[in-house]
Amino acid sequence: MVSALSRHSGERKKRKANHWAVYLFVFLMLLYPVAHFCLMWFGVNINSIFLAFKRPNDSGVLTWTLSLWDGKSSWLEALFYNFKTLFMGFSDKTQYPIYVNSLMYFVISCLITLPISFFFSYFVFKKVAGSAFFKVIFYLPSILPLLILCMAYKYSLSPGGLIPGLLTAMGIDCEAFFADLFIASESKRWLVWIFCIWAGIGYDVILLTAGMSRIPRDILESCKMDGVNPFREFFKIIVPLTWPTFTTLFIFGMMSVFNVTFQPFFLTAVDTDTETIGLYIYNASRGTGLHEPATLGLFCSLIGAPVILGARSLLNRCFKNVGF
Amino acid sequence: MRNSKKIKRVALALALATFLTACGEDNPKGSGGSNERELWICAYDGGYGKEWINNMAESFQKKTGISVHVDVDTTILDRIETNLKNGGDYDIYMSHDINWRNYAAQGWLADLDDVYSAQVEGSSKTFEQKLVSGAAANSKFEVNGEEHYYKVCYTQGAGGFVYNIDMFKENNWKVPTTYDELVNLCKTIVDAKLTNAAHKKVVPFAWSGSDRQYYWDYPVFEWWAQKAGLEKISTILEYKGPTGQYADGYEMYNPETYYKEFVEAYKMWWDLVANTPENSTSTARSDNLGKAQMAFANGEAAMIPYAQWAKYELESTNEGKLDFQFAMMKTPKVSASSEDYNYLVGFGDSVVVPSNSPNIDLAKKFLSYMATDQCCHDFVRDAKGAFLAFDYRDIDLSDLEQDDPYVKSIHEKLSENNFALVSKNPITYLTTNKVMPWVNNDYYYAKAASDPSSNQASTVGSKIYEAAKSGWASWCRSAGLA
Repeated sequence: MVSALSRHSGERKKRKANHWAVYLFVFLMLLYPVAHFCLMWFGVNINSIFLAFKRPNDSGVLTWTLSLWDGKSSWLEALFYNFKTLFMGFSDKTQYPIYVNSLMYFVISCLITLPISFFFSYFVFKKVAGSAFFKVIFYLPSILPLLILCMAYKYSLSPGGLIPGLLTAMGIDCEAFFADLFIASESKRWLVWIFCIWAGIGYDVILLTAGMSRIPRDILESCKMDGVNPFREFFKIIVPLTWPTFTTLFIFGMMSVFNVTFQPFFLTAVDTDTETIGLYIYNASRGTGLHEPATLGLFCSLIGAPVILGARSLLNRCFKNVGF
Repeated sequence: MRNSKKIKRVALALALATFLTACGEDNPKGSGGSNERELWICAYDGGYGKEWINNMAESFQKKTGISVHVDVDTTILDRIETNLKNGGDYDIYMSHDINWRNYAAQGWLADLDDVYSAQVEGSSKTFEQKLVSGAAANSKFEVNGEEHYYKVCYTQGAGGFVYNIDMFKENNWKVPTTYDELVNLCKTIVDAKLTNAAHKKVVPFAWSGSDRQYYWDYPVFEWWAQKAGLEKISTILEYKGPTGQYADGYEMYNPETYYKEFVEAYKMWWDLVANTPENSTSTARSDNLGKAQMAFANGEAAMIPYAQWAKYELESTNEGKLDFQFAMMKTPKVSASSEDYNYLVGFGDSVVVPSNSPNIDLAKKFLSYMATDQCCHDFVRDAKGAFLAFDYRDIDLSDLEQDDPYVKSIHEKLSENNFALVSKNPITYLTTNKVMPWVNNDYYYAKAASDPSSNQASTVGSKIYEAAKSGWASWCRSAGLA
């Protein structure tokens, strides 16, 4: 009896010690990401939110907008001084291309890159002929730093680069065409879009193939036994079962409206023809009037967050979430 | 079990060691463990190289016994604001594009009034008197009703056409003094149908439309100054409208009135370069700087638009030396009767001292030391033709100029009527990319070379005016000028 009791208490102590070890493990595992989140997300963003409610005083010092209220206008107008300035800026027609360019990235990411990636992922998943080669072609942009990728892309299309060099070797005089490629408004816009599609496919393909590889083999084998053709298999099996991954990528694509920054910067520098909201904010943040980009950033978040959450909710309703 | 304990102990020891090492790196200034104070300087790694600052630090150390640590890097602008705000390692920062007025307003910069009023060693002049004209005025700023000096202008610059002296001599080409002569020279060069060693056709200009198209600003701004006069440019730089109010400051960009001469200067460039493609290397509009440098170095082009750092950069990219002598010509004048002007390239570059530096006194000593004749002389030697923002009239550079026509040409150019385009309007330093001679920082040189008809002077003038008019109200509000 005594030995049973002591064994029992020993086990309890052991369990208690195990619990303590588990708590410590969880604590240590969470410490870094939580600290990182607090510092790099909350810390940075809370500062940006504060900045949206500050403006320079007569000496140029950024001061709370309300503290500069002169009493002549309403206090709300004083509080949202930067937002009023922002809305006034929306009437600046020369800035319209920035918003149009940014919205184009929704089309590029969600309606072009993602569907293409879905199909290519399926080919890779099905191991069709040449899939290994395509795998390398798609994955390569994802593992190279963006700057290198942009430079490789730009210089291969610039005079003396790979493609003009090949064409010249074939006797085609194309120097002038390639010299203008990154200067002319229309062509440079297209070149940035094409780059984003090329570089974006790799990322999407990696996630989608990972999602597809989780689909249980027996489902696919039973489809095969039932004589389901690949087309039907793709739309009836693959798409519904990888829908959560698709939803995630679609939301990432929507966020690219605000996120695309360095692709146009590296390819065309800061240029109204290719400038995006992200690049505008980045560029304005290099100056000293940080309240202006902070206000635009906050405004974009306020507009973007409900739209993205709404889209996510709609997409989640398309297919029933299946656990496997 | 014993092994697991051992592993835990080792892991804990490693974690502790890592933690302590990280703590140790927090303050590199104190890493020596010595109580001696050390001056830390961070300079931008640009077209002046690092030799000059290393040599100057060494001579300062010899003279004063104060040890100096110098870092030269290109990332200074990415971290300067954080360092000034939260305290960094450095006691002096030297770079272009330092938003010093804003930093001064936030209280992050030490005031340098005593440096400006102190006499420079070996000279009867004060620091302020030693500075090149306009530099002191550009370094003052009013914070809470008190005006102080918060920066020292770094360099005074010259920009324009760098030319191949040997090529000019071989072909009996005269260095042009007027715009018409320049146009004729370009025609002569093109008609001569010369080829370089690589059998490439020799053209008048090599330039980079991809990443240095703004080098064309240097001659264009001087033509603008010659046409408009400095008084009109000063009026424009206030960015107040005809009513004297900020509200209609966009009128300064009106191509029919205030900006007329700027548009005319652009037209001169357009005629010379954009509308005469044979005057440039075939792909200049899309070339990067390296390619333009190579074209000039290989004798494919007789001239290249550049600034005072040309010699340093051209030689650095060509294994130390070019095969020919080169110099910067005075920008050919609009007409024979026009006055020579030199646009002070990089006059906005700054040397600042953080207010939270523990070594402000040492930093000020170093700044005073920079103003001595010897330092000014050595800077020109080590930076290969660049000049500090001090008056060089009393400084003997004959030893450098004797064998180096480039240094001599820069010195001569700096002796002209110098002018800068530094504005004190808050919009210019709060929304840095909006108000420039080119509104929204939108340059047209490469675009015009690619599509001349769509980027003629009249069209560009209207575009600039419309862009300024369209955004002006919000820029004013954003800068607190509502």
